Amino acid sequence: MKKLVRILIVAIGLTGAAQAETPPEFARANQEFGAGNFDIAIADYEKLVQTGNWNATLFYDLGNSYYRKGDFGRAILNYDRALALEPNHPEARANLRIARDNSHALQLAPAWTDRLLRFATVQHYTIAACIAFWAGLFGLAAFFVSRRSPFRMVLSLLALAVCGGLAYSIYVIENGNTGRSLAVVTSPNITARLATADSAAAVLALPVGSEVRILSQRGEWVYAALPNDLRGWMPATGIEQVRL
Amino acid sequence: MGRSRNQLVALLGLMFALLPPVAFGAEAPRVTAVLSNSQAQVGEMVQMQIRITGARGAQIPDISVDGLEIHQTGSSQQFEMRNFDMTQSVTYSFTILPLKPGGFTIPPQKIKVGSTTLETPELRLAVVGSGGTTARPSQGSQSSRGSGGNNADDAQTTGGKLAFVDLIVTKKAAYVGEMIPVEIRVGFNSRSHGRPLEPPELSSQGFTMQKVDVPDQPRIQTIDGRTYEVWSFKTAIAATRAGNFDIGPAQIGALVAVPKQRQQNSRPRSPFDLFNMDDPFSDPSFQDPFGYFTTMQRATLKSDPVHLEVKALPPNAPADFSGAVGNFSLTGDANPKSVQVGDPVTLTATISGKGNFDRVSAPTLEDEHGWHKYPPSAKFKQDDTVGFSGTKSFEMVVSPNEKKTNVPPLRFTFFDPLKEQYVTLKTDALPIKVEGGSMPSVAAAGPSATAAPARTTPATSAEPPVAATPAPQDILYQVTEWPARPGSFVPLYRSNIFLGAQLLPLAALLGYVGWKLRQRRLLDREARRTAALHHEANDLVRALKRDGVSPQEYYTRASQAIRVKTALALKIDPNVVDLDDVIAAFHLDEASRNRLQRLFEQTDELKYSGGGNGTQTIAPEQRRETLELIESLRA
Repeated sequence: MKKLVRILIVAIGLTGAAQAETPPEFARANQEFGAGNFDIAIADYEKLVQTGNWNATLFYDLGNSYYRKGDFGRAILNYDRALALEPNHPEARANLRIARDNSHALQLAPAWTDRLLRFATVQHYTIAACIAFWAGLFGLAAFFVSRRSPFRMVLSLLALAVCGGLAYSIYVIENGNTGRSLAVVTSPNITARLATADSAAAVLALPVGSEVRILSQRGEWVYAALPNDLRGWMPATGIEQVRL
Repeated sequence: MGRSRNQLVALLGLMFALLPPVAFGAEAPRVTAVLSNSQAQVGEMVQMQIRITGARGAQIPDISVDGLEIHQTGSSQQFEMRNFDMTQSVTYSFTILPLKPGGFTIPPQKIKVGSTTLETPELRLAVVGSGGTTARPSQGSQSSRGSGGNNADDAQTTGGKLAFVDLIVTKKAAYVGEMIPVEIRVGFNSRSHGRPLEPPELSSQGFTMQKVDVPDQPRIQTIDGRTYEVWSFKTAIAATRAGNFDIGPAQIGALVAVPKQRQQNSRPRSPFDLFNMDDPFSDPSFQDPFGYFTTMQRATLKSDPVHLEVKALPPNAPADFSGAVGNFSLTGDANPKSVQVGDPVTLTATISGKGNFDRVSAPTLEDEHGWHKYPPSAKFKQDDTVGFSGTKSFEMVVSPNEKKTNVPPLRFTFFDPLKEQYVTLKTDALPIKVEGGSMPSVAAAGPSATAAPARTTPATSAEPPVAATPAPQDILYQVTEWPARPGSFVPLYRSNIFLGAQLLPLAALLGYVGWKLRQRRLLDREARRTAALHHEANDLVRALKRDGVSPQEYYTRASQAIRVKTALALKIDPNVVDLDDVIAAFHLDEASRNRLQRLFEQTDELKYSGGGNGTQTIAPEQRRETLELIESLRA
C-alpha cells in the first residue's frame, strides 16, 4: 500500500514538472514583446491560447501586447480572462484599470448581490457548499442509523441549508454581470440598437473594452445587457465572451 | 281586438303629427353654446356644443380662433314633450384642440335660422401647458363615421342605429414624423348593452401609431334623439413617408344585444315611432329587461377611412437634426460646478413640449473641443396618455481635458410644423470652474501610453468626483514565468475531477451507513437470544415449583435452569456451561458449591442410571433447597 502511495506521489510530481515546463512559443513571444514586435508576440501568444493550455499569465501577457499595439478592447478582454482564471492577479487588475481609462470603456454596474458576494470566488463557494452538503448528509445518515438526537438533526438541516444558500450564491454570481455571459466589446464603433438592423434606433454607443452581458443570440446579432441598465442588440462579431 | 288597436295607434299618431307645428310655432327659436370644460391643457381636447331650440335647418358658420383648432364633429336632434308642449332642438357638436397656452375667447357666432339670425354667447377657454408651444393657423380636422358590418345581422347594425365608430383625425395635412392626435369614438345605443371587446385597430400603412389609450367607462351622449354610450379611444399617429394616405378604417370588435329572429319579418310600428325612425329598439323585445327576446352577438364595427396629406420635411436640415418634429423647449444644467481636469461633469438637458419624442435625441455641445463625452442616458415622462406631450431628460457625462470656465451651450434642432421650418434651440453657456493642468493626450500605443484617472460608468456619475489630479501611468511589466498549474474557465462545480472526487465522501457515507446497519442488526440478534434465555429460565423455574414431576425430569430441569442463568451471566451458549462456569459467574460460597455439585451429580446419575423409570418422588425439603439454590444465582 505504501509502495502504491509512493508511486502515485512520484507520478503526480512528474506530471506537475512536465506542465511547469515553459512552452517555447511563450518564451519566443516574450522575446518579441521585449523587442517591440507586438504583432509577432500576439501571434505566438494566440497560438498558445489555441492549444487550450491556458493560464492567467498567458492572457495577461497577451493583454499587454494588445495594449501596446493600441487595441484596448482586446487588451481589456485578455486582462478580464486572466482575472477570470486568477481573480487575485494584481498585475492584471492594475493594467485593466489603465486600459479602461484609456479607452473610456463602460462597465456594467454590479448588482447588490454581486457586491455582497464578491468577498469569495465561485471556487470558494463551491468547496464550502460541498463540505456543507456532505456534513449535512452524514449528519442525517447518523440520525437515521444511529442514536436519534434532535440536536444532530438540527445541525444536519442547518448544514444543508447553508449548502443551499451557497449554491444560490454560485448561481447569482454565474448569472450576474461578472458571470459566464460577460463579454467585452472588441470592435470600434459598436452601437447597441433597439432591433436587429443597422437602421434601428440606437440605444447606446459602446467604446471598445466596454462590458456587456449576453442575454441571447439571434443569427449574427446578440441581445445584451448594457451599462446604464440598458439593453440592446449588437453585432455578434463586435464582442467576445470573456470565458472561453 | 286587433282592429281597434290599430285604430287607436292611428289616432294617436295623428295627434302627435298635428302637435309639433303648433308647439314649435309657439316658441321663438333660441341658441345656447357650452364648453365641456372651461380649462384645458395644450393638446387636450374640449367639446363644444351649440344647441338651437325651436328651429331646424340652421346654418352653422365655420368657427376659427387663433390658437384653437375647432372642428364640427356632428349634430343630433332631440324632441321633448312637456304637458303636450313639444320642443325640438338640434345640437351641433365641435371639438376644440388648444394649440398654445393662454386665455381664448370664442366670439359670438351668428347663426341664420330661416329669416332669423341668432347669436351664440361668448365662450372663454383658459389653456395651460408647458412652454414653448406656438399657435398655428387652423388646418382643420376630419372625422368619418361608419357602422357595423359584422357576423351578426347586418340589418340590425347599419344606419347607425345600434352602434357607430367615428374616426377623428385632427389634421388634414401633416409633415413626415409629425405626431397627429387621433380619436376613435365607438358609440352603442344604450339599449343595446353593447361594449367593445378590445381596443380598436387602425389600418394605417405608412404610419406609426402610439399605444391606444383605453377609457375606463363610456360617456353618455344623445345623438339624433337617441342615447348612446360613447367610448373614446385616443392615440397619435406619425407618418413615415410623404404622400397622400387614407387612414383607417378604424375597426373594433364589440358585443351588442340584437333582437332574436322572429317568425314574422314585419312588425307593427311602435305607436311612439312617429317619425318613421325605424328604430329596431322600438321592438317590444327591447322592453324586456331579462333579455328574453334579445341575444348578445359579436360584431365588427368599422369607421370610414380619413384622407391625410403628408408632406416631406424641407431639405437642408441642420447636421444635428435627429428627426424630431413638433414644438419643444430646452433647458440645461451642469453639476458639479467646480471640478478638476479629467473629472466627470454631469450635464442635464430637459426637452419639453409636444411631438414625436421617440425621435428626440440628446442635445449636442456646441463646441466639443477640450471635452470628452460619454454616451447619454434618457428618461421620458409623458404628460398625456398617448405620449404626445411630455418631458424627456438626458444625463450626459463629460470630462474636461483642460481648464474651462463654462460648458459650451447645448443645442437641439427640431422641425416645427407650425412655422414650417427647422428650429435650433440653444441653452446659455453653463458656468463651471475647471482647475488643474491639461491632461496629456492618450497615446494609442507604445510604452509611453498614459492613462486618465479611473472613471465610473456615466449612469453612476453622481458619485463624488475623483479629487486627485491624474498622473501618467503605464501598464505593468510582462510576466515571463510559466505557471506550474494550468487554469480552466470551467467552474469548479462542473469540472470532472471535482465531480469524481465526490465519490470519496459518497463511498464513506455508504460505508458508514452499512457499518451502522450491520452493528444494529447484530445487537438485535443478541437481544433476541438474551430474551429467549430469560424466558426459558423463567419457564424452568415455574416448572420446578410444580408437583408430580419425576426426579429425573426435576433434576434435568434444575440443572438446565442453572446453565441458562449462567449462560445469561457469561453471554455464552448454555450447552457449554459446566460447574466451574457457574461458580465463576456467581461467585458461590463453599456450601452453595457443594449443593450445586450434588445437584449436577444427581442429575447425571438419574440421567445415565435410568432411575427415572421408577415411581420415586423428591422430598419437599430437597425441592425447597434446590429452588433456593437456583434463585440465589444472581450475577
